[in-house]
Amino acid sequence: MPFLLFGIASVVFLVSRMTPGDPLVTIVGERNLNNPDIVAAAKAKWGLDQSVLQQYFAFMKNLVKGNLGTSFTTRQPVMHDLWQRLPATLELTMCALVGGVSVGIVLGVLAARHRNKFIDHIARFFALIGSSLPAFWAGLLLLYVFYARFGWLPGPGRIDPRGIAPNRVTGFYTVDSLLQGDFGLFKDSVMHLILPATVLGWGVVGIVSRLVRASLLDEFSIDYVRVARAMGLRERTVVNTHALRNALLPTITIVAFTFAFLLTGAVLTETVFSWPGVGSYAVDASRNLDYPAIIGVTLLGGTAFLLTNLFSDIAYAFADPRIRLS
Amino acid sequence: MWLGNRKGATRRVVAVGLAGVLLLGACSSSGGSSSGSTDKALLIARSMDINSLDPSRAYCDTCQIYMTAVYETLIGLAKDNTTLVPRLATKWEGNAAQTEFTFTLNPKAKFSDGTPVTSADVKFSWERLQGLQASSSYLVSTIKSIDTPDAQTVKVTLSQANSAFLAQVNASYLGIMNSKVAIAQGATIDPKTDKAEPWFLANSAGSGPFTLEKYQSGAELRLKRNDSYWGTKANFPEVVMKQTADAVTQRQQLEAGSVDIAMQISNDAAKGMNGNGVVVSQVPSFNFVYLALSPGAKGGEKLTPKVRQAIRLALDYKGLIDATVGGAGQVQPSPIPNGFAGTAGLAAPAQDVAKAKSLLAEEGVTDLTLDATFPSLNVYGVDFTTAMQKVQTDLKAVGITLQLNPVEISVWADKIGKDGIPVTMLYFAPDHTDSSQYVQYFGLLKGSQWQTWARTDVSQTQTDLLTKAFAEQDATKRADVYKQLAESMVADDVIIPVVNPNLFLAARSDIKGLYYSACCNLIISDLSRG
Repeated sequence: MPFLLFGIASVVFLVSRMTPGDPLVTIVGERNLNNPDIVAAAKAKWGLDQSVLQQYFAFMKNLVKGNLGTSFTTRQPVMHDLWQRLPATLELTMCALVGGVSVGIVLGVLAARHRNKFIDHIARFFALIGSSLPAFWAGLLLLYVFYARFGWLPGPGRIDPRGIAPNRVTGFYTVDSLLQGDFGLFKDSVMHLILPATVLGWGVVGIVSRLVRASLLDEFSIDYVRVARAMGLRERTVVNTHALRNALLPTITIVAFTFAFLLTGAVLTETVFSWPGVGSYAVDASRNLDYPAIIGVTLLGGTAFLLTNLFSDIAYAFADPRIRLS
Repeated sequence: MWLGNRKGATRRVVAVGLAGVLLLGACSSSGGSSSGSTDKALLIARSMDINSLDPSRAYCDTCQIYMTAVYETLIGLAKDNTTLVPRLATKWEGNAAQTEFTFTLNPKAKFSDGTPVTSADVKFSWERLQGLQASSSYLVSTIKSIDTPDAQTVKVTLSQANSAFLAQVNASYLGIMNSKVAIAQGATIDPKTDKAEPWFLANSAGSGPFTLEKYQSGAELRLKRNDSYWGTKANFPEVVMKQTADAVTQRQQLEAGSVDIAMQISNDAAKGMNGNGVVVSQVPSFNFVYLALSPGAKGGEKLTPKVRQAIRLALDYKGLIDATVGGAGQVQPSPIPNGFAGTAGLAAPAQDVAKAKSLLAEEGVTDLTLDATFPSLNVYGVDFTTAMQKVQTDLKAVGITLQLNPVEISVWADKIGKDGIPVTMLYFAPDHTDSSQYVQYFGLLKGSQWQTWARTDVSQTQTDLLTKAFAEQDATKRADVYKQLAESMVADDVIIPVVNPNLFLAARSDIKGLYYSACCNLIISDLSRG
């Protein structure tokens, strides 16, 4: 894995340097781009006056020490920025994933059990909307209805704007608020999770439910299901205990990769809900050609994909005895 | 095939179900604010553009608000956006040649840690600003030396006459820091040795009515009232600026009462907002969006003076304001915005398609196609793509085709720096209250921003006029010189202002003291609830 990450860092470093663009506009502002003194000072401060090769070796030397450099935009070490923002994204992503996978499995099972009937059509339509609705539009719509119009749920942010964030232990507001015994803050942070997690999770529902439906229909045509039915087992037992477990195997892979994708790809949801996560950081980094931040986010994404791949392999072995035995 | 143990499966289902019930229970509990709420705090929804909180490096609209609240300048600006008023300095004077300025500090002025503000702090703050060569360093570029004959006197000698110096001193970026504290945290006047920026992202060392409590990039900026402030204390014990990128979301938060002020409400978002505890007003701003023509850019060779004039005459200015900000803006005659010295009596630009066609015919230009790469921005409620599409339509009517190419600003900066861009769009907001900043940026002076980007000849007339303006002590006479400069810049047809958008001030109805400040954007210490 370290070699893979090293390769990713090298490729991203080179690609970012080859991208047409001038990061100085982020550092000094467009008004000072023709001020030679200010430009020279900025280049010297950020090492942009060195050759690409010198910059590469300096970057790699720092990377080995765990230093990803300092962001042009936030002026903070990239590691610090990611450390600050990752829990927010993880908390949102995990909530969206748990909700999305749960609802997706239920819908997929219902759709498969009632193939081509009314429930199937409804479940597929719901999944289709989840897959096709743009996150920013769905977010604004849900905010309008549930926050602005009826006031049933809170608005953007991780907690009430007047609230004070819990002391950081894990960075998860739901967990940290419980750890400091503040149940009001816990309730507030959970309430703030509902809308963004729904927007993000709805897309997951679409993916999971269609996959579960298709896999279950395949399983239904296999002999062991016929045997189970012939043995007189209840249909619920046949589906939930036998067929579903086998049908969920491909879902594990999809869920794992969806999780990794959402870690850096939840930008629209994060923007609409003013969620200070990694997604918005990634977009700002690429928009501003913030080299250190771009590499940091890419390495984070790469690590997430590698780890989720590993976890999905482990989960496969756990779920399917044939893999364990082989 | 896996035929699992039914008992075990049941246990697992029950466990998963229980977990689901717990999660649902958590997710369905009724709302309410957190127990740690600070009811009297002022909440502001804002798309923050903070580049730094180091007073010598900060340079952004949000930074102006922050700097004004935390680091005081020697001179302040009255609500009329014209009159200079005492702040850290009780009095000031300049010599007739406008090369020496002397400030007398208020002996009562103290930093938030209780130490007095002295001339040594002023000297260090300005020398550091000059030495670090950061974005706002140009404001002190004419300072030759700073003498401190005593703790309350600051004598500044300039390398050239500069009648705009007092206005520049009024810019929020010239706020004074506690030099002893800053030096202890690694601040120096040399960019190679200065290490204080990270410290300033979490702490402050100013004398203003607020101190920095907490800053979390992309989330919030939290200020705490300086309870030992030497002047009139601020009304709010705490001010929280919340990152809210979207104007619609800002509106929703304001209407729901989640925030007290929404700072970037667009014309569309402002529609139907008044009432229900929310007050929205619009005021003319000094911000503007402009079209820039660069005859020296690659592909811009045919942008002769007559062709540039034809482009100016082909534009439907009212239509541009309608298309971009729904009519909530003003026509701006020159690159010096309405209200600044030298703009009174300037003729408003008007569309004249027939004359534009005639000028193009005189130049023998037919079917001219120009590259129009522009940064894909939405600034002050003006969407650049919408504005450029309207410009494209207007120019099509006179036979000029624009090839619109919206790009990220970093890509735009790279392109304009290397080859130049024949037709582009950008924006400007003032740093201080003197018209010279516009001439220095837009005028065709040697090495100015747009002389360099447009790759045009240097205008000796403008160079001489600016020198004259800098040497002129009398405000009326200086305004006359600036008017000549404005007319000269209009005649260049390199910078064509297209929209001077109004600013929407949107707040809960109990918020008092909200107004637009030319130097400082929003002065938080003037706000109150009542």
